[in-house]
Amino acid sequence: MRKRSRGVTSGGLLLAAIMMASVSQPVRADDKKPVAPPKWKVGDVAPDFKLQYFDGTGLKSVSLSQYRGTKNVVLAFYVFAFTGG
Amino acid sequence: MKNFQRNLQKLEAADTQVLGVSMDSPFANKAFADQIGVTFPLLSDWGGDTTRQYGVYFDKYKAARRVNFLIGKDGKILEEQVDDEAIDPTKLVVACERHKLKN
Repeated sequence: MRKRSRGVTSGGLLLAAIMMASVSQPVRADDKKPVAPPKWKVGDVAPDFKLQYFDGTGLKSVSLSQYRGTKNVVLAFYVFAFTGG
Repeated sequence: MKNFQRNLQKLEAADTQVLGVSMDSPFANKAFADQIGVTFPLLSDWGGDTTRQYGVYFDKYKAARRVNFLIGKDGKILEEQVDDEAIDPTKLVVACERHKLKN
């Protein structure tokens, strides 16, 4: 009796595993689909830009080229303000 | 952005300026910065020209993807982090510090 029920359980687990695999794979494939690697690679010269931000009193302009030769720049693109951190 | 704020001292010590960029208005970004306690500039790419120029525009959201670039003093890209990987900037912080030691 014991042996039989164990056999049923492991068979059930295997089935569950197969079902999960078949469900999760297409979802993952769909998520990855639009995600192409960024245009610029390590070693490329980053394109210059000039953008503004509000410092509390007025709009200030910032360009990438102003840091050339003096500072590294971390450019952190994020999706929307007030989402995540 | 908060993760960059946490590492800001280390990054500044390694001659690195942090700039956030999104397609929100400058005023929305300022309110966002105040809310989450970010002191570095959050730049407004209203219209998305720079986002597209950098190849990080995501059509599905009509906004930027989460991507971090570390750009060296010579203007070349030193490191890149994309999507989920971009949430934790440790790799960039380490790269900055390594570069600082080299120079």
